[in-house]
Amino acid sequence: MSSEFAIRCGGVGKAFQLYAHQNDQLKQILFGLWKKFYREKWVLNDVNFTVQRGERVGIVGRNGAGKTTLLQILCGITQPTKGEFEIEGRIAPILALGSGFDGLLTGRENARIGAAILGLSRKEVDACIEDIAAFADIGPFFEQPMRIYSVGMIARVAFAICAHAQADVLIVDEALSVGDEIFQKKCENYISEFAKTGTILIVSHSLEFLKKLCTRVLWLENGVVREIGDPAKVIAHYRAAMKAEQGQKIAWR
Amino acid sequence: MLASIPAVYVAPFDRAWRNRELIRAVVRRELISRFSGSALGPLWAVLAPLFMLLTYTALFSITVPQLSAGVTVTDYASSIFIGLIVFNLFSELAYRAPMLLHEHVNFVKKSIFPSETIAWTATIRAFTYAGVAFAVYIVFRLLTAGSIPPTIVLAPFLIAPFFLFMLGVVWFLMALGAFTRDVAHIMASVVPMLMFATPIFYRIDQIREISRSAAVWLRFNIVGDYIEMLRDLALDGNMPNIFAYLGIVAVSYAVFIGGYQFFMRYKSVIVDVI
Repeated sequence: MSSEFAIRCGGVGKAFQLYAHQNDQLKQILFGLWKKFYREKWVLNDVNFTVQRGERVGIVGRNGAGKTTLLQILCGITQPTKGEFEIEGRIAPILALGSGFDGLLTGRENARIGAAILGLSRKEVDACIEDIAAFADIGPFFEQPMRIYSVGMIARVAFAICAHAQADVLIVDEALSVGDEIFQKKCENYISEFAKTGTILIVSHSLEFLKKLCTRVLWLENGVVREIGDPAKVIAHYRAAMKAEQGQKIAWR
Repeated sequence: MLASIPAVYVAPFDRAWRNRELIRAVVRRELISRFSGSALGPLWAVLAPLFMLLTYTALFSITVPQLSAGVTVTDYASSIFIGLIVFNLFSELAYRAPMLLHEHVNFVKKSIFPSETIAWTATIRAFTYAGVAFAVYIVFRLLTAGSIPPTIVLAPFLIAPFFLFMLGVVWFLMALGAFTRDVAHIMASVVPMLMFATPIFYRIDQIREISRSAAVWLRFNIVGDYIEMLRDLALDGNMPNIFAYLGIVAVSYAVFIGGYQFFMRYKSVIVDVI
């Protein structure tokens, strides 16, 4: 049904407050009514789009275009300065793999906390902890303190947790590039599998992957939606724009 | 029944209840990670207060200063120990709170982590250690004095409002500490000052004999009031003044709600500044 949306974004904008001095933040809190101590930098401006349930939407754009900020807003980590958004269902954000882990605890213990952050109850965690271990597939390391893990192993555990969060909406920020080939394949398989039942919003710089996976692609540029629509078309335009700019930069030299 | 209470007074509990699984998991992690890698492990939670208690008892059985005049050495040591349990709890949280959000920056910025629960986990952790120390006190008291006043069963009625008071303090310091690191430095100089304005090594009654007005001023120190009342219950076997008790419960609750609202008001800004 077309009325069933999963994500709806209405005129979302985000301004960061840039302070010349760290302590100006405190001054702003205390005396903000009388004086402004910051400059505003709008990283997102009037972003509008709707994602239907079951859609797989990719987001492209150059560094600093506001992709991560947009995802952070949708996950509820930071609040938009203006506009509003709605999300239906439970979200599992895969933003920075393994950032919330404690090196002194074992993979299993960290997995329990990670799952609790995503909103799983203890019973649910008990039920799926073995599946998480199997998905991460790091063998006896799962029972070792995480400080001895390699980066790829941490990413495996982190992704395994998100994969078992029983979410309705998966929000992925270019995070799958650290694992080895086997694990990347596994993640991609999982995402394709998830796409059959859930909604996906994914930021990536691997355009071929997006073209294969997504039903629509959103091109974000300087904080506004430049184009949204058919993956092949949008990606072609995006590539052309990148190329044109590269040509210009070379020409300037 | 609950509907008749305005939402603002129960909102913090409601939020905490919804995040109870997370709070439990993180508290477990903090308790485990504090002792993992040490040979004696959780035994340290018992040993640390035990050494403290023995040191003070030894010290005062040798010196017996004027402050302890009129009481036995073990009574005086017990009195100090209760004072230190409560004050250490306060100072540990007061030192740690301004840095809490900086410690958990990855949680706060990179996952859907309800940052107000950090105050719950830090406070629960501190109260767990204080609870172990209090158990050491009870055993010590039973061994040295042979009995413990029955009023000690009322101690939870003091601990619960003190818990809420500390939560409010932690929320407030956590939010302030996120904006400027000066708060941590301020606490480092204010807490030792507060220590001498708190009846730890002396009792309010002794001050009252010296100066009535000083004793009145000291009553404004909530931590000190809690210490005095806990001594009433767990050492002297007296009932605290009911009006004084209701007074500090009201103040503690106001601090709790005020701290929570302060934190929640700036929560969204904090994510962008740390």
